[in-house]
Amino acid sequence: MAAYVLTRVRQSVITLFLVSIVVFAGIRALPGDPALALAGEERSPAALAAIRAEYGLDDNIVIQYGRFIGHALTGDLGTSSRTGLPVSDAIGQALPVTLELAALSLLLAVVLGIGAGIVAAVRRGRPAEWIANGLALLGLSVPTFWLGMVLVLAFAIAVPVFAASGYVPFGTDPLDNLRRMVLPAIVLGSGLAAVVMRQTRAAMLDSLSADYVRTARAKGLSRREVIGGHALRNSLVTVVTVLGLQLGHLISGAVVTEQIFVLPGFGKLTIDAVFTRDYATLQGVVLCTSAAYILINLLVDVAYSVIDPRIRLGGAK
Amino acid sequence: MSRTLVPWRRYLLVRRTAVAVTAVALVLSTTAGCGSLQSSATEVGGERMTDDRPVRDGGTLTVALNADPDKLDPSLAQTLVGRTVFAGMCEKLYDVDEAGKVVPQLATALPKTSADGRTVTFSVRKGLKFSDGTSLDAAAVVTSLLRHRDLPGSARATELAPLKGAEATGAYSVKLTLKQAYVPLTAVLADRSGMVMSPAALKKYGKNFTNHPSCVGPFKFVERVGGDRIVLAKDPNYYDARDVHLDKVIYKPIPDGSVRLANLRSGDVQIGDQMAPVDVKSALTEPKLQLFNSPSLGYQGIGLNVGNVKGLGQKPGKLDTPLARDVRVREAFELSIDRDLINKVVFQGMYEPACGPVSPESAIAPGVAASACPKRDVAKAKRLLKAAGVKTPLKIELKTSTTPENSRLGQVVQAMAKEAGFAVSLRPTEYATMLEETDSGHYDAFTSGWSGRLDPDGNIASFLQTKGAMNAYGFSDDETDALIERGRTEADPAERAKIYGELTRRANDAHALVYLYRQKNYVVAGKDVAGIRVYGDGLVRVKDAGYAK
Repeated sequence: MAAYVLTRVRQSVITLFLVSIVVFAGIRALPGDPALALAGEERSPAALAAIRAEYGLDDNIVIQYGRFIGHALTGDLGTSSRTGLPVSDAIGQALPVTLELAALSLLLAVVLGIGAGIVAAVRRGRPAEWIANGLALLGLSVPTFWLGMVLVLAFAIAVPVFAASGYVPFGTDPLDNLRRMVLPAIVLGSGLAAVVMRQTRAAMLDSLSADYVRTARAKGLSRREVIGGHALRNSLVTVVTVLGLQLGHLISGAVVTEQIFVLPGFGKLTIDAVFTRDYATLQGVVLCTSAAYILINLLVDVAYSVIDPRIRLGGAK
Repeated sequence: MSRTLVPWRRYLLVRRTAVAVTAVALVLSTTAGCGSLQSSATEVGGERMTDDRPVRDGGTLTVALNADPDKLDPSLAQTLVGRTVFAGMCEKLYDVDEAGKVVPQLATALPKTSADGRTVTFSVRKGLKFSDGTSLDAAAVVTSLLRHRDLPGSARATELAPLKGAEATGAYSVKLTLKQAYVPLTAVLADRSGMVMSPAALKKYGKNFTNHPSCVGPFKFVERVGGDRIVLAKDPNYYDARDVHLDKVIYKPIPDGSVRLANLRSGDVQIGDQMAPVDVKSALTEPKLQLFNSPSLGYQGIGLNVGNVKGLGQKPGKLDTPLARDVRVREAFELSIDRDLINKVVFQGMYEPACGPVSPESAIAPGVAASACPKRDVAKAKRLLKAAGVKTPLKIELKTSTTPENSRLGQVVQAMAKEAGFAVSLRPTEYATMLEETDSGHYDAFTSGWSGRLDPDGNIASFLQTKGAMNAYGFSDDETDALIERGRTEADPAERAKIYGELTRRANDAHALVYLYRQKNYVVAGKDVAGIRVYGDGLVRVKDAGYAK
């Protein structure tokens, strides 16, 4: 067991190292000179030379990479060339915003999607199913930006229940936080809710026609016990798998949502960094995201190996 | 049969309901942008730079900016939005008034210049304190000026390059020595080069001053959350603190114009800076909002590559393209364009046509008035192309920035130029890539613009001087270079106006940069906010602002 975990950790470290090279080289392959982007309107040759010297942009790419990885190993992700703020601070400020947005969207998707999916399956061929299907279709096809603007017009301007933009940490003012996060969560979660609804409905329909459900009914169990205790429990396996696969989409979908609602999250930070060729911020953000993915995969693999010993022994033959 | 019909009917019912819900949503989303312009707080067209209604003390004002400012260090800052934030916390030796004239701010009076123009003296006001509580004196001014000039990467280095030395000749008097007479200096000191930073803060924070800026201003820096907000609070050390009404000012970057407008409507922000015409029109339907506008000192146009073969800052060379080879081809391109139509179609008639680098609003040396712009003449354009012997349609690639307005501008230019014999292909190019490609000379034509400077030298020298820092066009003309030098040293305003008139004429004859229009500074604010000021330099001034009584 320990040997397996050690192997996976070693593999993860190598993967992260390779990812850091790809990230570094990929960002530098972007067209556009960061010194020019930084100098903006005031670009004299002297100013450009000073900017290049300050950020080591004139150095060989291998030296630049060495410097970057050396600092990153000590936890220093550098300073934003645009704002002069430490990148780790920017990430530290942006991460909770995106995590909260993703968590709320996921919650919404689970509650609405599973609820509507159950209703659609149980009330098959009835108006409830049509409505649930219609809403799911709407959730999948409505563009995020349009939905965001309509919700702002309806619930922040016409009936000002929610705020149109901004972020207040939950710890500072929970009510204000929710006032600002509900609309973005609806926008981001609606697509996922639709996917979850469809999966739940399909899985529930399968389960409801399965032999064990018929047996349960024959045994005289109540409708609630049959649906909740038997059909739903079995259906959730598929739904949870889909949810896991969709998590990545939540993070990437947050980019647009954060732009609409002016949320200072990871997506907004990334977009701003791309447009201003803020190498340090971009490297930091992409590297942190990659590290998170690698870590989650590592934990999942270790968890699998705990549950199923065949996995850790698979390659040991 | 009935078993199939009932769900179908139900489906129809559900479908109708869904259609109705969608329609309501659509109507809601569109009607919010329509309505009668009769209800507008301020009509488009006139100028409105101030609102002098009395205001009450207290409150927080949130200003939506169209981009996130860069460094909050006056020596290193590069962006227009950054200047707006500085307007709240860093006063300058000189400022601009409503008429576009330079007036003293931290200095006691306009500077005195020696007969040879090489020595400039001025005094600074007594009893002023920086936000960190230390006192402003002549030594602080000298420290700041020399830092602006010498700090590696300083964006002020070029405009302060003629500064040979600076010394404090008394506790509050400063003497500057110049390498040569430099008339634009006063205007330069009315911008970021004239901002005085606390020497104590500079010493304490060094390069990290950007995260702890300390100047003399109505508000002091509190915090910055990258990409989200910059918070300023009323500075009790400010000399005029009694007349500052707001407790706090928050600057929020909201790049998307429609999102900025939605936030103004919802009341989440009170001021929207740099609003696009389409959003202004929409905002005017909202009785809660009011409009401020001022003419800008900048210009927008199309830059043509006439000799940029080695990149920016290098000596222009010869390019073997019809546009670069023959001025008649460039003139034909310009004559194919109708500036009034561009203004009408792309900008709802809310900008001004432009045909020169100097704004007619410039109080220092007025430029050519908009009415003097050459009219569209397709027949002449065709004749010129024929005389130049080029094969039509002549292919030109026009790089445009990725904003919706610039895309529309490109399409209108494409359609107009086609009639004269040009086949313009459009290449929307993202900002950082565009800078790199145009500066290195890899382009035929691109949408080129400048936010403008108070002194006309700031609108001309860097762009049209041989090897100028922003001469991406590769334009080189000895007479133009000589006139630029003369303009910098000529003290007589009437003579200067003549020089810049001649420079405008030469720029127009060269057709390397086709000036098209001048933006206006449109600022939309809540009607409950008074006291904000929007001058020609494009900055939103909040010192006197507050909530109306």
